[in-house]
Formats: sequence, structure tokens, C-alpha cells
Amino acid sequence: MGALQSLPGKPEYVDLAEKTGFSFEQIGILHNRFKQLSHNEETLLRDHFNDIPDLACNPIRLQIIEAFFDRRNFRQNGEGTVEEIGFKEFLVVMSHFKPPSLHMTQEQRESIRRDKLRFLFNMHDADNDGTITLEEYRHVVEELLSFSEALEKDTAKSIADAAMLEVASISMGHMEPDEFYEGITFEHFLKLLNGFEIESKMNIRFLNMDTTTLCK
Amino acid sequence: MEMGAKEKNQQLHKPYSNGIIAKESPSSLQQELQELRGSASCPRSEPEFEMADIFYFCRRGVESILDDEVTKRFSAQELESWNLLTRSNYNFRHISLRLTVLWGLGVLIRYGILLPLRVTLAITGISLLVVLTTLVGFLPNREFYLSEKVHLMCFRICVRALTAIITYHNRENKPKNGGICVSNHTTPIDVIILANDGCYSMVGQVHGGLMGMMQRAMVKSSPHIWFERSEVKDRHLVAKRLSDHVADKTKQPILIFPEGTCINNTSVMMFKKGSFEIACTVYPVAIKYDPRFGDAFWNSSKFGLVNYLLRMMSSWAIVCSVWYLPPMNREEGEDAMQFANRVKAAIAAQGGLVDLIWDGGLKRAKVKDAFKEEQQKLYSKVLVGEQDEGEQNS
Repeated sequence: MGALQSLPGKPEYVDLAEKTGFSFEQIGILHNRFKQLSHNEETLLRDHFNDIPDLACNPIRLQIIEAFFDRRNFRQNGEGTVEEIGFKEFLVVMSHFKPPSLHMTQEQRESIRRDKLRFLFNMHDADNDGTITLEEYRHVVEELLSFSEALEKDTAKSIADAAMLEVASISMGHMEPDEFYEGITFEHFLKLLNGFEIESKMNIRFLNMDTTTLCK
Repeated sequence: MEMGAKEKNQQLHKPYSNGIIAKESPSSLQQELQELRGSASCPRSEPEFEMADIFYFCRRGVESILDDEVTKRFSAQELESWNLLTRSNYNFRHISLRLTVLWGLGVLIRYGILLPLRVTLAITGISLLVVLTTLVGFLPNREFYLSEKVHLMCFRICVRALTAIITYHNRENKPKNGGICVSNHTTPIDVIILANDGCYSMVGQVHGGLMGMMQRAMVKSSPHIWFERSEVKDRHLVAKRLSDHVADKTKQPILIFPEGTCINNTSVMMFKKGSFEIACTVYPVAIKYDPRFGDAFWNSSKFGLVNYLLRMMSSWAIVCSVWYLPPMNREEGEDAMQFANRVKAAIAAQGGLVDLIWDGGLKRAKVKDAFKEEQQKLYSKVLVGEQDEGEQNS
């Protein structure tokens, strides 16, 4: 008979599986986690994320939480933020962290890469004008650092400034002293991070789980 | 039960009963960042490091959203195979007719036969406790022998009321007078399970209603320590009363649950150091429930006490193991917190539970900002180190 179990297929799952590329099992697991985080309600609020102690340790916690409520990450070409998300949106944002499968063409890999980088770009670009300005970049750097003895506020600022300057010089070549660098566009961003193996560094691998048993 | 415990010990190493995602071994911040920078095709100096470092924090953040060590301790443990109780059926779907029939039969037996029997026993046990302890209280000199017998008998009836099948290990290490017994906390039933085997002085807040009546009755015949709500906040008062009790060698050992709240019996969380500051012998006890027969964890935000007791009485049984560990004393140069952690590690090791440093109070409160600052400091140090190198090079 074999150990085949066919899920009676929750119809919503089929739709989600197609859209996000997760398997039924993974969707089930994520659904349980969603319910656990939202205390069995239909939608997740920002407060629910604040309940996770591990996340509270993370310096860019606010940016990560915002990313879940950012319409740009819902793959519907939307803009702006929402106050609460349902399971579908949760899944779509999570799908940005799916590892590329082994059998993928170069184009598919490239598009996945662009996807993940877009996610990161959105995290920096808070006002969604298509560029990461010096202000926005500085904001992220300051979140990562602490105002402790190790670094003073000015040092943090100057690190961000120096970084932006290098980026400007790399992408625009030599600049006149009064020329204004608006910021890093998405294309620049891609170019800058060309060397990084983002496909492998920015994904979450699921363990092979099978918690239900067969009773025949 | 020994076999059961060994199974459980091994289970904890299997990935699926622990987490749902493969977490990298917690390599330090430095290592990961170096890897990230090293993976660039040519060694760039400063700008890239900001951009790429975000990956690390981003991934860690999403990992914690998916699966973290703490929030899953406050909901019931997931079972690998179904035990015919609807309440533990998380992936509900119809599997076969035979199974449904079995389940139906199970419901009939549990609610039709077991539950009424158990409720009767419980009522008998509690009323006997109240009546007999009051009677013993009238006797002069608070007869210790009689009071012990009365307590033991009533708690044994209560244990039968729950059909708790308890296996006690290492009874030679049972707590003695003038000491403190500490244990991990899963449910209020822990008290009954331990009191079944020996007499303890309990510590707790004064309640109203049925609990209050029982408390007042019990204290008439043996020295329990009940606090008014206002006194609980006063740590010195609490410590003093406990020390006084412990100093009197004729008094029974005190029973304390240092976690402060119910955890779901897969892990042991931070012990509050208050009880470890008192200078006396500590007798650790580890309690581990077998989740296959009934889930003993009390999720106080989900169920009230009466609801919980009804669920307990309509499960198959409560099967658990109690290990009495050898007594421990605070060593020279050890402060209360370190002592508490040592005891916690011993209990976790014996019971096959995960030893966590997180505070059980996180069930209701939020993490302090201090933790986030720690991570920020770490990262700053890495950057400053880089800066110094950069300056030396340029």
C-alpha cells in the first residue's frame, strides 16, 4: 500500500501553494505558527510580533516587523502599509525567504535573487520613493549600532556618511562638489551587492517533518 | 517508566519535536559577518559591510518569527501520535472509520464512566480533607502523627480522583524536615502529586472560595505558609517567614516552585532566586508527565481552573515520573543566582527537559530593552574593530 497520504486538500492551501511555492506541509506548519503568534485570531498585529523574546534582541526588529506590514512585499504592486495582516500576506512575505530549489534555471535564480534584494531594498527605503537616501540609510545604520561607549552618535553618523560617499563614487564616478547625490536606486543596489551569495544567505530551510501517523 | 524517560531523552535530540526550521548553530556575530564579507568577489573596504551585514540580522529576525524557544513553551506540547483525545488532535482530518469508532468508544468511556467516578472521588477527598484537618486542629499540641496521616490519606484520594499513576524514583532522597523542596511547575496538580508521597508545607497566596476554605482548614493541623496578597510584594517579609519556618527543625519541608508560572513540561525556565537565598538544604525534584495519556499543562490564559480540572478528569490518566534528586547546598562563593541555575540544570538533566535561561514571566510580560542593546553593543564592537584596522591601512 505504501505510506502515501493524500491531504483532502484544503482549497485555500492549493491556491497559496501555487502562489508562494511552499508545499502543503510547509503551509500547514506555517499556519500553526501563525495561529500561535496571533493567539488563534484571524489577523496578526504588530503587537503580536513584539511578544517574541528572541526578536526583541534583534537591533533591526522594527524594520523586520514593518516589512511584514509593507504592501510592497505582498507581490501585488501595492504601496503603503497596513495595520494587520492575514495568513495569506504572512505566507507571501515568508516566501521571500524560501531557498531556491535545486532544479532551477539561471533565469529563475536571477529572479529569486532580485526578489530577495527587493525585499531588503524595501526595508531600507521607508518612504518608497525608489531610492535609499542618506537619511534613510543613516537611520538603518543607527539602529544597528548602539549609543554606547564603543561608538558615539557622531561616529555612527560618519560611518553612514562614509559608506554613502563610497557608494556614490562607485556608481556615479567623480562628482562635482555641488552635485547632489539623491540616493541609491534599486539598480545601484543590485550592482553593489553583486558579489554576495544572497540566495544562500537569506533563506530559511524547513526540516523534513511528518507529525501525523497513519492509522489504517 | 524508566524506558519512557529514556525515550523522551532521546526524543529531545530529534529535530522535529524541537523546532520546525533548521537553525544554524549559533555562530557568533563576528563569524557570520566575516563570512558575509569574505563572500564578496573582491575585498572591498567599507561600504559593503553595512549592506551585507543586514542579511544576518534579517535572517535571524525571520527565524525567530518562525520558531523561537520561548513562545512554544506556553502552549501544550505537540504529540507525535494521536492519543484519541480530540484536544490533542492538531491536524484534524478524517483518517478512517475504524479510528472514528474507536474515538467514539473512548469518549463514551471517558465521559460516561471515568468522569463521574472521578468527580465523586474528588468531592469525597476534598470534603474529608476539610473536615478531618479541622478536627485534628482541635486536638492539643497539634498531633503531628495524626495530621500527617490525615493529609496523606486525603491527598491519596485526590490522586485516585485524577487517576494519576505516579512512579517515584530515588525515594531515599526524599526531602527532610528543615529544608526546601524545589520542583519544576507544570500544573497545580504538581502539589497533589508530591503531597501524595510526603508531607510538605505549602506556600501560597490566600484565596477566596473553595480554595480559601481548604487553606484555612489545612493550616489548622499543620504549619502551611499562606500570604495575604499585600504581603507577597514584600520580599523581606516573605524571606523572613520562610527562614523562620526552615529554622525550626521539627517542621516539614517547604514546597516551592521557583519558576513562578506553569510551563508546558518540555523545558525548565529561569528560577527566581528568592527561595535560594535562604540558608538551608535544597532538595530538587523533577516531575515529568507522559503526554500520551493526558496533557497536564495548565494554560491559564486559555482555561480557567474548573475547566482545566474537568479536562484532567476526562483524560485517560495522568501518568508521571517523579525523581527525587540528592540534596544540594549553596557552595562557598556561589551567589543565589548561580545556585539556582545549578539546581535548575540538575532538574532539567534528570527530567529530560530543555534548560532555558528565559524567564517564565515572559508569558505575560515583554522582554526588556537591555537585550536589544546587548546585540547592538556586540555589533558596534565589531565595527569599531574594523574601523581601527581600516585606519591603520589607509
